[in-house]
Amino acid sequence: MSNNTTRRRSVKLLTAVAALGLVGVTAACGSTGSGGSSGGGGTKAGSNGGGKTTITFMEAMSSGALKPAMQAQVAAFEKKNPNIVVNLEPYADYGTLTAKLKAATSAGDPPTLAQVYSSDAAAFASSKVIMPLDSFPNEASTASTFYKGIQNDLKLSDGKTWMWPFAKSTVIMYYNTAMLKSAGQPVPTTWDQFATVAKAVSTKGVTAISIDPGSSSAPAGGTAWFEILCQANGTPAWTADGKPQFDSPAAVKALTYLVDLKKAGALAIGSNYPGQIALGAQKGAFDISSVASYYYNSAAVGKKFVMGTAALPTGPSGPANQLAGGNVVMFAKASKAQQDAAWKFLSFMTTPAQQAAWSTASGYLPVTSQALPLMSSFLKSHPYQKFAAESLEWAQDTPPYASVSETQGDLALGLQAALGNGKDPAAALKTAQANAMKHMNGAQ
Amino acid sequence: MSVAARRPRRAMNSPIAYFFVLPALVIFFVFTIAPTLYTAFISLFNWNPLNISQSKFIGLSNYKNAFAGQANPSFWDTAKTSAYFVVAMVVLGPLLALLIALLLQRGGRLMSAARTATFLPNVTPLVATSLVWMWIFNGQFGLANQVLKVFGIGGPNWLESNTWAMPVVIFVSLWHELGFIAIIILGGLTTMSSELSEAAKVDGCNVFQEFIHITLPQLRPVMFFVVVISTISSLQAFTQFYTMTQGNFGTSTLSYEIYYQAFVVYHTGYAAALAIVLLVITAVLSILQFVLNRTRD
Repeated sequence: MSNNTTRRRSVKLLTAVAALGLVGVTAACGSTGSGGSSGGGGTKAGSNGGGKTTITFMEAMSSGALKPAMQAQVAAFEKKNPNIVVNLEPYADYGTLTAKLKAATSAGDPPTLAQVYSSDAAAFASSKVIMPLDSFPNEASTASTFYKGIQNDLKLSDGKTWMWPFAKSTVIMYYNTAMLKSAGQPVPTTWDQFATVAKAVSTKGVTAISIDPGSSSAPAGGTAWFEILCQANGTPAWTADGKPQFDSPAAVKALTYLVDLKKAGALAIGSNYPGQIALGAQKGAFDISSVASYYYNSAAVGKKFVMGTAALPTGPSGPANQLAGGNVVMFAKASKAQQDAAWKFLSFMTTPAQQAAWSTASGYLPVTSQALPLMSSFLKSHPYQKFAAESLEWAQDTPPYASVSETQGDLALGLQAALGNGKDPAAALKTAQANAMKHMNGAQ
Repeated sequence: MSVAARRPRRAMNSPIAYFFVLPALVIFFVFTIAPTLYTAFISLFNWNPLNISQSKFIGLSNYKNAFAGQANPSFWDTAKTSAYFVVAMVVLGPLLALLIALLLQRGGRLMSAARTATFLPNVTPLVATSLVWMWIFNGQFGLANQVLKVFGIGGPNWLESNTWAMPVVIFVSLWHELGFIAIIILGGLTTMSSELSEAAKVDGCNVFQEFIHITLPQLRPVMFFVVVISTISSLQAFTQFYTMTQGNFGTSTLSYEIYYQAFVVYHTGYAAALAIVLLVITAVLSILQFVLNRTRD
């Protein structure tokens, strides 16, 4: 009897607690909380109180001069558009940004805007989570003011504009002026001349250039340089429709060139910006890197010597360069108000005045030539900005296909095999090509 | 006697008992069981993480592709790499930790400080210390090669070498784990009965004989525990590979490959299949070790 009573009481108690718990959970689910989305069409931020529209921007401008430069752009925009709030979500690097962005999208909680590479934009577009920008007011007329290379970089294979330019850069050559002078060597203007100079200065513990090909998951600057060399030799590393051609004669020639430099003690491989570290430590004479590295290279060099900058040397097929840095995409889940606000923000960011301000503060290149006259004093102290910006007219990005980032990883491994582990260049590239084709054919 | 036997049975029959364990069960289900089941579910699909509605059911194809070795690196290559790492960690870890524990067994202030020092690496964040070790083993500017240079030896590019990358990762992992294992073994040593050792000494046992015939048999349960947790943690090791080599130069273990497939190239279904295979391998190895231990008993 008493046992039954106890059991009944226990069941009642359990039921009451379960009911309370359920109410609590339901209430929690129904509440958006202070940080929840409200009326934003499911995106991370929406229309908050007082008729303001909030947009979220996931980007990788988190270090050095980049973070304050980005914050200044947002502050200027919000001052001009008091009804729009831009929430920046900076991440440490592109890899982290991409992982976080894809996780947020996967969870159904994407931002309004995000910085992406073109290969990722292709994956987002085919998954129908981002939207084309063609229908926004003045899209075509604004885009027509950009450098040609930038214009080409905004479209995917369907010909629609899916991206808007953001942190754009090209690759330039940094060098130790004192080291070249003392060796009696000129600033090289062709890749053949570069090899001669590199070998000449590689004495007394100096290795002319250090590169990082990166890894399968994160190809780095060394791979980008190789891709530029392929282009300079007449055959890009990928066809325009994204098919790898890593074993082309141009590619074999490019890798043989790098391997020969290594054998001559003029090239070393490393990780974590080895070119910048070696240049700063006066153990390297050159660094082949993006203009975005300027501030970091300057900091590494300090007052030890005068750091020179020059356009990349040319190859048998003329000048070649690669667009670096990301574009911005807009997520389809954003509300109409957010989309309009986001477009206003993107348009504002690419006005000549803002481009001049952005380039001066961040070191990235202005995407329109109309910005150059507005930054004349900056160009005097940073002459590389002009020739680098002008290369945006013809520089190419990797083709905008989702498979490119994966096949680029195969290429990085091929370069590591030849440069790090002594594999024959042709054999290493043949393996890289075979692996890339395997990925292309969706063997996995 | 009868009261003592009845109490637990009454406790188990009471709904209140289930109420008290419910929070733990809910947490375990939500954060462990449900994600595992969901992973198994995803492994049957060509999963599009960006838009789940585009995912396609493909049955066991992801598993077939894995066992056919179609990925690059293949499942079998990553399994071999994992085996290399696990064997090194499971053999060297407990062995070195046992030596350290025997050395630290003695009392005194110095030994107490040494115990703390030994355990210290284990409380440091592996990601941070891996970065430091990465710089120590930097081929151009690293401390390791600078030291070797003093002796006229030109060190290799440790972490960019198919020969050296894995041994370096094993070295760093051992450095990080040894303190923890040594403290567990030390715990086992301190709880051992001294009577047997004293009796053995009286019977004329030397130190080595005493260790082999008296100490080691008593330590078996502790060593078994250490081997099991070392196996599981080595199979799941990720941070040091991610930080130091990013799975390159012969260091692409099964755990790293799961990350690469899931979060770099977004072959989520294939990665889920690999995760389930890793789960099965871990479970089988653990069960095998339990069975072997029981058989010996």
